[in-house]
Amino acid sequence: MNLCLRKQYIRPNLIGSLFRFASTSAEIVENDQVFIDDEEAQAREAEINKKRNISRLTPAHQNLVNGRKPYEEPMSLAHLTVKYNRKMYGRYGSASGVNPNICFPSKQDIQEKLEYEAIAYPFTIQQMMVSAAQKRKEENERIEKRDRDVAAKFAKLDQWKKELHDKLAKKTAEVSAAKEKKERLVEEVRRHFGFKLDPRDERFQEMLAKREKEQKKLEKLARKEAKEKMMIAKLQQKNVELTDAKK
Amino acid sequence: MGSRQITEKSLSMLRSLPRISLQNIRDNPNSKLKNKRGRGQHGGDKHGAGNKGSGQRQNFMRLGYETGNNPFYLRIPQEHYYRGHHLRREYPPLTLHNLQKIIDKDCVDTSKPIDIASLIRSGFYNFSPDLKQFGINLTDEGADIFAAKINIEVQWASEQVIAAIEKNGGVITTAYYDPHSLLLLKNPKKFFESGQAIPRRMIPPSDLIEYYTSAKSRGYLADPEEISKERVKLAQKYGYTLPNIEKDSDYTMLSERKDPRQIFYGLEPGWVVNLKDECILKPKDQELLSYYNS
Repeated sequence: MNLCLRKQYIRPNLIGSLFRFASTSAEIVENDQVFIDDEEAQAREAEINKKRNISRLTPAHQNLVNGRKPYEEPMSLAHLTVKYNRKMYGRYGSASGVNPNICFPSKQDIQEKLEYEAIAYPFTIQQMMVSAAQKRKEENERIEKRDRDVAAKFAKLDQWKKELHDKLAKKTAEVSAAKEKKERLVEEVRRHFGFKLDPRDERFQEMLAKREKEQKKLEKLARKEAKEKMMIAKLQQKNVELTDAKK
Repeated sequence: MGSRQITEKSLSMLRSLPRISLQNIRDNPNSKLKNKRGRGQHGGDKHGAGNKGSGQRQNFMRLGYETGNNPFYLRIPQEHYYRGHHLRREYPPLTLHNLQKIIDKDCVDTSKPIDIASLIRSGFYNFSPDLKQFGINLTDEGADIFAAKINIEVQWASEQVIAAIEKNGGVITTAYYDPHSLLLLKNPKKFFESGQAIPRRMIPPSDLIEYYTSAKSRGYLADPEEISKERVKLAQKYGYTLPNIEKDSDYTMLSERKDPRQIFYGLEPGWVVNLKDECILKPKDQELLSYYNS
């Protein structure tokens, strides 16, 4: 609705303003022809210009819109700073009236920058190159050493595997032998009684202990015999050696 | 018929209404935020703070706190490959295919050396130095259709990319810019309007020195002779004949490089550029000169 209204009114407005411009410009030309340095006329012209200006912008904003420096005089503390004056020069050039000397850093600024750089960049490029090369070399050495270690271990891998398998096989064989022995004992006890007996039964336990004892005795005997046999064999061997030496 | 009458009538009504001016318009509804709390019995019951709980009491809890729940930021196991992500440098990629498109659209002038400033000016690449982005990573997508002879300066490039550019008789350099220089390159106009002298480009950090001094990556700090050797080596590796740059008609353009301290082509550190007056101010003070040449 608002927009529609505006469109309707914009045309007559424009036309009116055009007429106004036309009339005033003609007047100005006439005035120029007549005189310029009359104070009264100048004041009148200023008055007219002031009335003509219906933008309601502040002088600073008018300056901004027309590409001029907004303030001729500093209006706040910020306008006294180097940064603001540099900006004014950068934006409005020499027309800003700022001495371009302030665009360059002062001696104190340079000192501060140098001090900062000394801490932020403590090493030169050459120094950094040397340390980077050193670091790379160390890294490569570390990788090579690890590779060598792995290769040495890999060479032994088959042997280690075989050892482990043997160990495991031995262990399982021992376990199965012990189990078999136990089963055989239990079977013998059962045969002694002639019927199936609960292995938790007292008689069964007694018999089992007895059997085990016997078994242990037998084993001990067998071991003793084996030892004697070994001794005899050794002695015999010694004898043979002695007789050989004599011969 | 009736509608026409209505329009006529409303138009005549409008004509009789006064002109719109500041005196007879009002703000759009809800366009102005009231910053006053309603008072009285039902004026502002909860004042927009809701009913019950921390909302009403307006005790704003610390970020991530979920009122006794196992908070989200602790519920997920740590991902250690993200460690230090906030410190890592990022190089937003630009593919060779995209670069070719930019050149074909004539958005970048190939008769001059191309750098990050001209690529941003083309409007097809952008980055933010304040997000730890350190410039262009030229990637090899479209390397097989790339067919432009250019002198380009990027911040990161792979071997394939270097091969693709050198195969066409072009030249590539990888160069480091510190974030401040990148800001200047991103928006030179803004910097020139600030009325400051162009600073020096800073040296790369120690973890990048290897890349930017190696001839293989065509670093800007590498020995030029090493680079020419590496160019031949790369041509042999990828199996193309290396065009002779010295006999090229654009030799001066192709051999143009920035100084390691320089940020803009044709502008030296210490100069002040004024766009309004279209002039350059150069320092004459010995101290300034020695500072800017160090």
